[in-house]
Amino acid sequence: MLSRSKLVGLLLVVALVIPFAVTTAQDDTIEIVFSHAFGDENRQQLVADVIAAYEAEHPNVQVTAISNPSYRDTLNGAILAAQQGNAPHIVQVFEVGTQLALDSGIFIPVSSVTDAEQLADLDDVIAPVRNYYTVGDDIWSLPWNSSNPILYYNRDIFEAAGLDPDNPPSTYNEVLATCDVLMEQADALGLQGCIGWNMHSWFVEQWVAEQGALLANNNNGRTARATDVMLDSGAMMNIFNWWKELADNGYYIYTGALEDWNGSDALFTGQQVAMHITSTADLVNINEAAVEAGFQMDTGLLPIPDSAERHGVVVGGASIWLTADHPQEELEAAVDFMIFLGNTQNSVNWHKGTGYFPIRYSSIDQLEAEGWFDQNPFFRTAFDQLTNTVEGYATSGALLGNFLEVRTIIEEAAQSVIDSGVDPLEALTEADARADESLAAYNEAVMGE
Amino acid sequence: MSLDTQAILWSLFFGAIFGALITAYVYGRHQRSIITGAGVGAVVGALSGQILMLPLRHCTFAYDPEVVAEAGTRFTPEFLFGIGVVLISSLILLAPVWVWVSQGGRLFNPEVGRTERFGRSPLPYLFLLPTLIILVFFLYWPMIRVVLMSLETSFLGLNARFVCVDNYLRLMNDSRYIHSFTVTFGITIAIVIIGMSIALFISVLASQKIRGANIYRTLLIWPYALSPVIAGLIFLMMFNPQVGIVNQVLYTLFGIRPRWFSDAALAPWVIILTSIWNNLGFNVLFYIAGLQSVPDELLEAAAIDGANAIQRFFRITFPLLSPYTFFLLITNVTYAFYGIFGAVDTLTQGGPRGATSVLIYQLYEDAFEYTNKTGSAAAQSLILFLLVAGLTIIQFRYVERRVTYGE
Amino acid sequence: MESEVANARAQALALARTRHTRRRRLNYLIHAILILTCFLLAVPVLYALLVATMTNIQFYGQPGRLLPGNDLWNNIAVTFERGLGQQILNTVFVALVVVVAKTVTSLLAGLAFVYFRFPGKWFLFFFVLLTLLMPTEIIIVPLFKIVSDLQWGDTFLALTVPFFASATGAFLFRQHFSNIPTELAEAAQLDGASPLRFLWAVLVPLSWNVIGAMAVIQFIYMWNQYLWPIIIMTSPDKQVVQVGVRQLMAVGAQTDFGPVMAGAIIATLPSLIVFVALQEQFMNGFALTREK
Repeated sequence: MLSRSKLVGLLLVVALVIPFAVTTAQDDTIEIVFSHAFGDENRQQLVADVIAAYEAEHPNVQVTAISNPSYRDTLNGAILAAQQGNAPHIVQVFEVGTQLALDSGIFIPVSSVTDAEQLADLDDVIAPVRNYYTVGDDIWSLPWNSSNPILYYNRDIFEAAGLDPDNPPSTYNEVLATCDVLMEQADALGLQGCIGWNMHSWFVEQWVAEQGALLANNNNGRTARATDVMLDSGAMMNIFNWWKELADNGYYIYTGALEDWNGSDALFTGQQVAMHITSTADLVNINEAAVEAGFQMDTGLLPIPDSAERHGVVVGGASIWLTADHPQEELEAAVDFMIFLGNTQNSVNWHKGTGYFPIRYSSIDQLEAEGWFDQNPFFRTAFDQLTNTVEGYATSGALLGNFLEVRTIIEEAAQSVIDSGVDPLEALTEADARADESLAAYNEAVMGE
Repeated sequence: MSLDTQAILWSLFFGAIFGALITAYVYGRHQRSIITGAGVGAVVGALSGQILMLPLRHCTFAYDPEVVAEAGTRFTPEFLFGIGVVLISSLILLAPVWVWVSQGGRLFNPEVGRTERFGRSPLPYLFLLPTLIILVFFLYWPMIRVVLMSLETSFLGLNARFVCVDNYLRLMNDSRYIHSFTVTFGITIAIVIIGMSIALFISVLASQKIRGANIYRTLLIWPYALSPVIAGLIFLMMFNPQVGIVNQVLYTLFGIRPRWFSDAALAPWVIILTSIWNNLGFNVLFYIAGLQSVPDELLEAAAIDGANAIQRFFRITFPLLSPYTFFLLITNVTYAFYGIFGAVDTLTQGGPRGATSVLIYQLYEDAFEYTNKTGSAAAQSLILFLLVAGLTIIQFRYVERRVTYGE
Repeated sequence: MESEVANARAQALALARTRHTRRRRLNYLIHAILILTCFLLAVPVLYALLVATMTNIQFYGQPGRLLPGNDLWNNIAVTFERGLGQQILNTVFVALVVVVAKTVTSLLAGLAFVYFRFPGKWFLFFFVLLTLLMPTEIIIVPLFKIVSDLQWGDTFLALTVPFFASATGAFLFRQHFSNIPTELAEAAQLDGASPLRFLWAVLVPLSWNVIGAMAVIQFIYMWNQYLWPIIIMTSPDKQVVQVGVRQLMAVGAQTDFGPVMAGAIIATLPSLIVFVALQEQFMNGFALTREK
């Protein structure tokens, strides 16, 4: 009895005291929190290495990296945390989150903290990439990971099917023709489908840009706040009709989940499909998996509609933003780290370790000097796609405050066409109406009328 | 008469009419004066109607010539919605009056003084203080805030502006929200009926006088210890269309690979199956306990009277189990409305195209995934609250009468 | 006469024997169905255990593998590298704090409601009871704002304090106390003792079962918390176990089901042990709340 009551008493004390005894460390260390969306071991390790190197140079700064399950979660989490008054200092924001990040008011331009020397250093960042994040005279964020989608294909399967492994399809019709050949021998080749990419709006956005078309009015929201999302355009119809044809023939497969990057990679590395479209950023991971699974992979340009001229891809990817409401010394340390993260050497390492573009002219020079692209032609594909991009509003990507919701709407439209056999025109008309309504509600809420 | 006064009069009017009618009826049924009932009801109803009308600023009854001209009638959707709000609001004070009347002049049946060993002192308030502080601050206050927030739109909590009942009217016209209702009810009905039937069947078998009954019980109930999130993760892996064990088996046997998560007809069933599996243990635990409380003599007597096993079950066992069925019904419905969130979040995230977007999931998405839908999310919270509170009260009132309490 | 009796007895015996055989056959059938059900119920977790031992290649390979892989320790190590260990400790701490605090507030409320007469008692009881209709999910939007305004976001305060009291707890002890025979309480001969002393020396010793029941229910409830923590907690090292396991899923170039399943099983063990070991208490707790 006594021991019981003692135990209860003890627990009681613990219960009532501990929650209130939350201590905060008081020393001279400047703590910086960096919230990003990379969960895989490879990229986490790369980030950890950069942090370790930075901390070695700046012993008074401690950088804590937090990884989130997705870009969406990273931005949402930062906004929620900012509402609680404890936003991470540095937040990785994907390009479609740009308008929302600006509207949210939780960020400040990086250029409001940088000193002259740092600012000059940023001139080294590739112009189209830097311009994306410059609004007015302010550099809002620093590019970190930029990528675009490319075609991955299985050379062994191509050879076995009697296809030329050095000549992957680069247009919609060529993909269909290649799939005709491959799927005729599907059983012999062990294929479940011909081509796969994860059901993600990102690819649709890229295909719209490749055709030189806009996703939103007011020049993709670049000349004034967008008020109309154009989901029922001819460009969109081209994409959806082709997609539907692939699916109807049993050529296109996906895991059934939305935005399932990993599952989709697994279809390719598991050799259940012969071709795969995904971000160049997965190059290293996919190539490793291919080696492990014992086949040879290769890359090609993103296939586009036959009628279209190749306008190139949306410049962007994700960038790192600085949140407001921190002491000046923390802001300065954060910006210093942000620049360090993308400096010449780290940019080179990041590219080699992941497949994301090198974002500085100096890092490209260094890679060229090393002969890197000649030894690793895979890495060239995406880079060519970027450098050959026609600069313009189409390839700048749309600024939409409700882009996250628009993405869901596009993906649900795709799902209804692919899985439920809805007519593309019908699906896109409905999607367009929903997206416009959602944008109107968003704009209304932001403006407060 | 100013328009504001008119709006207030409308709300008083509807509260009074509703209160008078129903209260007169209640008084009449309990042999009291109908006239008094109507009078009391009118006053209480009119006053109580103001409880929700005040935060609304009587806006639903405000006269906007443009809106009226467009609708072609004074009874615009807002106006009709306002009547609904007045009725619900008037129930807050009317319901206690009705209970008071039907129980012959008291609200509760206090067990007088048997246990009240301590005299009057301020101590009980002190003892209740911790509970009350927590409940007021973390339940009642948020509840009030929900009501206020549901009348606003905002962006990240900024730019808040009063929009009357627009959030509600928008939801009522939102086909996705209506769809979410259908989905929720469909999934709930499936979980309750299929889940509880299986549980009852298994429990009857497991409570037979057989060897190892205790072992069976433990082996049947343990999946309940898994959280919906973890249950969801496991089923996500098993139903993976390409490599999951379910499709491996189906492909080997029948050459098919159903697309469990992208087919709108299949995805809800994965959620239902996960939930039933997850909850079976809970249901079985209580049904076995219930079956053990059925007196053997009753069953033996019935057997001697010539009733066969199935007749005995439906005539004796099942009615005696009704308190357990009732309890499980409430817990299963509550699970299907709220607890299911973890499973939906891991398995389908509401997809494909809203086929599994149950109300609680849609609420979460609108509240925390989007920046400008807090008002709508608050409105959804209140609708969900009314729904579950309503169901619970109906269940209590309806089932309480029919349930045989075997005590 | 005698032969008739013998005959009847023989008939009765034969009947009993066929009944017996039929009964035995029926029993076999029951055993068969129960064993099958138990097996089917176990399949998901058994398969999860299997996958927990596999590498990605083993899991994603065709045809599917039904033998254990060789990566169990590595998969477990991955879950701990990602902070699952810390998250388990967090959850245990949060759950224990809530269990203890809620037991205390509920005992006090029960004491007040049963052993005192005071003005407004029924109103207050009704006031407490009404919160049964307000689950956290309904008020999550404003609760987030309120807790954030208190600067409690991303602290354990947010995970514990709002759950320090509940109608269920108060109701549970009220039911239990009013079922304790008055004589028993009086036999303790503590008339004149202060209410707190009465609670401590008389009621608590008579309530260990109920306290245990409530502790089990609350522990499992807190252990399984998911929606509230994903919203209010941001730092992974302060996160609770359910969210931690869920976030294992969203990693890597491929969904690494090995570590996810390893994490799922590790995260289930505590609640599984508590639930299976204390199933009686668990049920009694629920049974008490609905006793009339």
